[in-house]
Amino acid sequence: MDDDGTDELLLLRAREEREKIFQRYDRGTDPSNDVDPWENPSFEVYHYTDKYGFIQDQRLPIKHDPHESRRLELEVEREKKWLKMLERWDRSQDKLRKRVFKGIPNKLRSAAWLKLLNIPETKKKNAGVYGRMLTLARKYCTETRQIDSDVNRQFRENLAFRERYSIKQRSLFNVLTAYSMYNMELGYCQGMSGLVAVLLLYMDEEDAFWGLNTLMSDRKYAMHGLFIEGFPKLTRFLQHHDYLVAKIMPRLHKHFAKHNLDSILYSLKWFFVIFIERIPYKLCLRIWDIYLLDGERVVTAMAFVILRLHKNRLLKLKDMDAIIEFLQVKLHKDFGYDDDYVIRALEHTMQELKRLKLDLPPPPQPNEFPQRQLGEFIEPDFEKKIGHRKSVFTENEREVLTNVILRQEIIGQTDVESTNSYENSESVTGDAISMRTYQSFNSLATSLALSTDTLDSYNENKLDSGSDTEVEVENTRL
Amino acid sequence: MATTPRGGGTAQRPNGASQNKICQFKLVLLGESAVGKSSLVLRFVKGQFHEYQESTIGAAFLTQTLCIDDTAVKFEIWDTAGQERYHSLAPMYYRGAQAAIVVYDIQNQDSFQRAKTWVKELQRQASPNIVIALAGNKADLSNSRVVEYEEAKQYAEENGLLFMETSAKTAMNVNDIFLAIAKKLPKNDGAGNQGSGQGRRLAEVEQNRQTNNCCK
Ligand SMILES: Nc1nc2c(ncn2[C@@H]2O[C@H](COP(=O)(O)OP(=O)(O)OP(=O)(O)O)[C@@H](O)[C@H]2O)c(=O)[nH]1
Ligand SMILES: [Mg+2]
Repeated sequence: MDDDGTDELLLLRAREEREKIFQRYDRGTDPSNDVDPWENPSFEVYHYTDKYGFIQDQRLPIKHDPHESRRLELEVEREKKWLKMLERWDRSQDKLRKRVFKGIPNKLRSAAWLKLLNIPETKKKNAGVYGRMLTLARKYCTETRQIDSDVNRQFRENLAFRERYSIKQRSLFNVLTAYSMYNMELGYCQGMSGLVAVLLLYMDEEDAFWGLNTLMSDRKYAMHGLFIEGFPKLTRFLQHHDYLVAKIMPRLHKHFAKHNLDSILYSLKWFFVIFIERIPYKLCLRIWDIYLLDGERVVTAMAFVILRLHKNRLLKLKDMDAIIEFLQVKLHKDFGYDDDYVIRALEHTMQELKRLKLDLPPPPQPNEFPQRQLGEFIEPDFEKKIGHRKSVFTENEREVLTNVILRQEIIGQTDVESTNSYENSESVTGDAISMRTYQSFNSLATSLALSTDTLDSYNENKLDSGSDTEVEVENTRL
Repeated sequence: MATTPRGGGTAQRPNGASQNKICQFKLVLLGESAVGKSSLVLRFVKGQFHEYQESTIGAAFLTQTLCIDDTAVKFEIWDTAGQERYHSLAPMYYRGAQAAIVVYDIQNQDSFQRAKTWVKELQRQASPNIVIALAGNKADLSNSRVVEYEEAKQYAEENGLLFMETSAKTAMNVNDIFLAIAKKLPKNDGAGNQGSGQGRRLAEVEQNRQTNNCCK
């Protein structure tokens, strides 16, 4: 390959690729748009489609759930209350909090999420911006190919996203390309398509754009730091997660260590996409309700709850594949506990962690937040424009790569005792964890304890009963 | 020779066969996003193909066992995410790997370039004895082919790589490429398990107890 012509050629190829993809989304479902048959999976409509639009791998008729009618009644009651509350919106209300934990009625989720994410206001303040970003994206979006291939794979089992270039697929493409212009530092990272797809099931395009922006840039969620190169926030949260597991469930921690199971291997989607496709969608929405209310601390607590509730099962699994399969596949199909029960375990855990000042990891570095003005456009440089066409890794990629290798080595050496960064941090001062802390650890380790046979059996009292109590906390050097 | 892949994940004795060795190898899939890495793994491990395979975030882990003569070769497969940003996490997965499949899409020249970058990276960073295979995937769509078979073949030969064109969709060459790797991996001298730091030492110890493990 001759050097002179190459750059030009690469730029040209990148441009052609981008333009072609945009044109396809413009045409949408129009028959003139040639869609490869394999891109449009056929499906049998008489499969059971749930109320969220997901086609289930199950045929009608489904078995009758005796609790369903009672649940419906409750939902109608709740809807009435929510309507009133939405009219007189007050975020700090205790009532709101209580009701969010009970689950936002699905019909009112759109309205509630818009408010929780402060979308109407942001949108008003930024009138015209979204349109400008869409225009810029057409010309400059360097992530077009990646976004396109992710849109093609996102929630295809949901009716809204089923058809190639359907309205929702186009919205998803638009929001993601536009956002890569609005937040140029972040651009696009795999995972973001999942977040936006969930938002789009409850709102339209421009609202989802601002919703995404809130999730990325608002301090409460601050997902920017999760997705930028090097994943600094992920690292921070994973370390905290590891710490909690090591301190509160040392037996499980050792079990995982024995099987070389780094938490990054099972929990990435918990942090990146707030449990989408890792727990059943219905439960996931309940977690989202609470996440939108309370932000990042919910993820830490829920990650803990998942392991806590399934601890006994996990301890019985004897190799890495079985553990990963369980956490990533089995729990997505069937979480094994009633949703309300899980939510109460979550609420309890959130309170306990907060009391211990362990609800969040040590504070972030500034690099977790956007450093550049959002919405400020700077033309991408050559490297960016040709993207994956370059033949070597960039400096930045290389540096991150080295850091990751380092982290690996550190993890290899870390055990329960050597959690120095934490002992010195503000949240837990020195070795002298107070008696109260100790008791709370103990309470976290035991009060959620459940026998593994609670599959589907919903029992109000279990949360406090402390059955299957374990004493492993005592083995930990506190 | 029995070459049927077996599901279930754990290396058990295949029906009836008088098995006396189990070898365990770590294999990593690398390559640009959407070239079909996850699809190849899904085809190999579960015999399925999903048009709407979800995009991989971080990495996915699966296992599959192949039988060659009297040896069961268990692959621990790390399927990595293709987006560049995730490449920084890739060393977590390829360190200590004894085998790698670098995948490109025969319809996309750039994905072939990226595959070459990966090969270079592996040659520099991974274990020196790593067995690398190059897979030109989506061979079922050969009427929109851009990367010529001969070109890739020649590149592979020059770099000492195994090479096949594959299709996760039609299953063409999918088992074959894993089988070719399995055959090329050392199965007698313990070379297989000298991964750097990471690896599955404890799990292997456990394996050793249950079976007559040839891999040290
Ligand atoms: N026709 C055809 N399509 C394929 C083949 N393999 C994969 N695909 C399709 O290509 C798309 C991408 O495949 P994936 O397996 O998700 O690609 P990947 O390399 O894992 O992508 P990342 O997870 O983003 O790195 C999916 O829509 C697949 O259905 C193939 O052999 N033939
Ligand atoms: Mg994949």
